[in-house]
Amino acid sequence: MTQFEQVYDSDIKQTPIISQIKGVWEKRGLLRLLVARDLTVRYKRSVIGIWWSLLNPLFTTAVMFWVFNTVFKARMPDGTSFLPYLLSGVLVMTLFNQGLTMAADAIATGAGVLTKVYVRPEIFAFSATVSSAINFMFGLVPLTLVLAISHKWPGWQFPLAIFVVACMTLFTTGLGLLLAIAYVNFDDSRSLIQIVLLALQYMTPVFYPLSVLGPHTRAVIQLNPLTSYLSVFRDVFGDNYTASLNNWLMMFGSALGMFCLGFYIFQRSWPRVVAKI
Amino acid sequence: MSELIVDVRDASLAYRRTRHRVSSLKQTAIDTIKKRMAYEEFFALKGVSMQINRGETVAVVGRNGAGKSTLLKVVARVLPPTSGRVIVRGAVAPMIELGAGFNPELTGAENMLLYGTLLGRTPKDMRSRIEPIAEWAGLTEHLDIPVRAYSSGMVARLAFATATDSTPDLLLIDEVLSVGDEDFQERSKARTETMMNTGCAVLLVTHDLNAVRTMASRAIYLDHGVPKANGKPEDVIEQYLADLHK
Repeated sequence: MTQFEQVYDSDIKQTPIISQIKGVWEKRGLLRLLVARDLTVRYKRSVIGIWWSLLNPLFTTAVMFWVFNTVFKARMPDGTSFLPYLLSGVLVMTLFNQGLTMAADAIATGAGVLTKVYVRPEIFAFSATVSSAINFMFGLVPLTLVLAISHKWPGWQFPLAIFVVACMTLFTTGLGLLLAIAYVNFDDSRSLIQIVLLALQYMTPVFYPLSVLGPHTRAVIQLNPLTSYLSVFRDVFGDNYTASLNNWLMMFGSALGMFCLGFYIFQRSWPRVVAKI
Repeated sequence: MSELIVDVRDASLAYRRTRHRVSSLKQTAIDTIKKRMAYEEFFALKGVSMQINRGETVAVVGRNGAGKSTLLKVVARVLPPTSGRVIVRGAVAPMIELGAGFNPELTGAENMLLYGTLLGRTPKDMRSRIEPIAEWAGLTEHLDIPVRAYSSGMVARLAFATATDSTPDLLLIDEVLSVGDEDFQERSKARTETMMNTGCAVLLVTHDLNAVRTMASRAIYLDHGVPKANGKPEDVIEQYLADLHK
């Protein structure tokens, strides 16, 4: 008898999360190819290439700066300049929005393959969030320039920004998997999520400093995990040194929690979802 | 000595579906409040058992919606059975809807690499196979242009050549393939037959009853997910046709 390299037995129950992480790791070659595909498709034939994807956050920042500069400039904490504060906020929110929606879309558009070939769908979601993270890295170049204009430099601790990116990747992958399930089950979830994302945008201190808020509002805003991502990022890669230990804990906790929750629920509901698409 | 590749034991696949086919959050919310959510159990497959040995070709016949493609997906491990057991030994190559994983913006070579890796091969392994695959498909000169500039025949050739490049232990075919021009059809048919003869187990879904007669060693007739006949292709087809004309 031949010894088979791979044997599939439907009776062998797979431990959620652990088996999923293992599955993704075993197929990291495919993951790399999918990321390369995302990036190639996006940049290949555009004249300004990579910088094209930065146009959106840069333009958003320009508009917001024009609108809010007079209101919030004077109210920034001591020593913080408004423009880098704003740009870093917009970049992190773009990372979140893009990662989340692209992860959910990746599962929906990959349906043609996923319903026919056995591939872990989580790999598709991961490839989307990883390519968003790479996009974000390019955004650090204009951010550094903006800091330089304000006569600032990213501090020595700037490599710690990688933690923000890593945590956001886990966070958006988990949440993106949940959103993907919603996409398949409910036709109207696509438009609803846009409203939720807009609300979230205002509930995160992207263009206002926390200090302008009243104590109750501030308490609510600080419960939003994204607030912590922003605080930590501005602390390590900017001139707003206000991240607390709580922010760090909230960032790591929410990333790990959302990742596990998303993977767990996805594993349980995927068989029903795949039967529908 | 025969070697068991596929072993499906009393497998069923059931899912709950809502009676009104609700697919919006709004409707679900309204229905939940009004307590109108009525689910019904729907069996896509019910009590299917089959074994495929190495070198055997098993064909699945039945009307549209009888669960043929579902059975293929259960064996492909895309859908886990809700009861019963499915065991598949060895590498599986699906030849279903060729080119589903292609991206029109990528070149032929890039798509080939991605497609082969999706089908379970390693990128390293695939890179060394790009040239030979392209040569067999007659696409060597078109490797570096985006697939959106390909004709539909070229896309199908690329997909077929990539999917059939390795010799799997189990080949899954949904509808017999007829791709490309006369010449390519001949060669793809020959290649499929070689794969069948060189000890690969085949699960074939088709409406082409002549193909079942000539290619299959056994056949299964599915009706509403229930296997109504399982055995010699001739007998199974006879019963299927009798039911069809009833």
